[in-house]
Amino acid sequence: MNKSITAASLAIAFGTAMTLAAAPAAAQDKMADKEKCYGVAMKGKNDCKAGAGTSCAGTSKIDYQGNAWSMVPKGTCEKTASPTSPTGHGQLKEFKEKKA
Amino acid sequence: MSAAFAYTLLRPEAPCPAGLKTWNGSDPAQRFAVYRNNVIVSLVDALADSFPVVQALVGEDFFRAMAAEFARGTPPRSPVLAWYGTGFADFVADFPPAAGLPYLADVARLEWLRVEAWHAADADPLPLAEMAARLADAAALPALRLTLHPSLRVLRSAHPVVSLWAAHQAEDVSAALGAVDFADAEAALVVRDGLDVDILRIEAGAAEFVDKLLRGAALGEAAQASGPFDLPATLGMLLRSGAIIEAAPARRIS
Repeated sequence: MNKSITAASLAIAFGTAMTLAAAPAAAQDKMADKEKCYGVAMKGKNDCKAGAGTSCAGTSKIDYQGNAWSMVPKGTCEKTASPTSPTGHGQLKEFKEKKA
Repeated sequence: MSAAFAYTLLRPEAPCPAGLKTWNGSDPAQRFAVYRNNVIVSLVDALADSFPVVQALVGEDFFRAMAAEFARGTPPRSPVLAWYGTGFADFVADFPPAAGLPYLADVARLEWLRVEAWHAADADPLPLAEMAARLADAAALPALRLTLHPSLRVLRSAHPVVSLWAAHQAEDVSAALGAVDFADAEAALVVRDGLDVDILRIEAGAAEFVDKLLRGAALGEAAQASGPFDLPATLGMLLRSGAIIEAAPARRIS
């Protein structure tokens, strides 16, 4: 039991919490060591994991579609080649494909 | 007729219902068997989609046999396939062949919370500036009641459920599984932040605290009645994942 919780200790706790919340997103303690990578999936091979009855997985129409993503190990996305990407590599945000 | 048809659909050993006709004169029993098989296969596929880690832990053959057993006893009650799987975790807990894997039911519970979180309603978090204004009166804090995001769920387990789940998201699953200590008890916080469902490992005391908040307890009361946990870190995590929708003084409903 935390008998020592008072208005003052709650105020201090929230003060710290607000500082934590304002910290950059990179500090977030996410479990998965993967990242969403746009523009690297082959046609029909994009990921979409939302359980049964959701059907966006495997719906991408073209190879390297800019708004279709795959989960890839963290740090590898922007090193993966993507011929449709303006940067020449996968991107962490969706993009408009350039003409090949 | 339709009751008999439905009954027979879920029982592979039951004879084909009487009175069926086929358009091309082929054997109705054979056509019915195909249909009956497709019903179970589609339900098992749905469960495999919603419980991928359970399937990975027991292997496809075991999983499909277990899921088919569940499907025969618990056909869908809703036409929404996404909701098919309520009660699967309890079924797993009581499924004798899975008794050797005591953590399996809790992994199923965690995966189901993830499905629920995916489909929960949207809600905008309270902006930090407004949150700060709500905190100005320190004396009122213990009576403050938080409205949390509709997707927010907690799970306390006697098993390392979060590590088991996370290991299956890793690139090298068997290495990650090898690092899991099966004696660990873990608690999980499940919340959808934008379009992503996050599964975070939290302290047991923090899970108790969030559970009390979800049941409508005021901040002071919830914090005091929970086991030891890092309060600033827990509040910080809730804020950061956009889980606090509103904070208002408790109002007594009488």
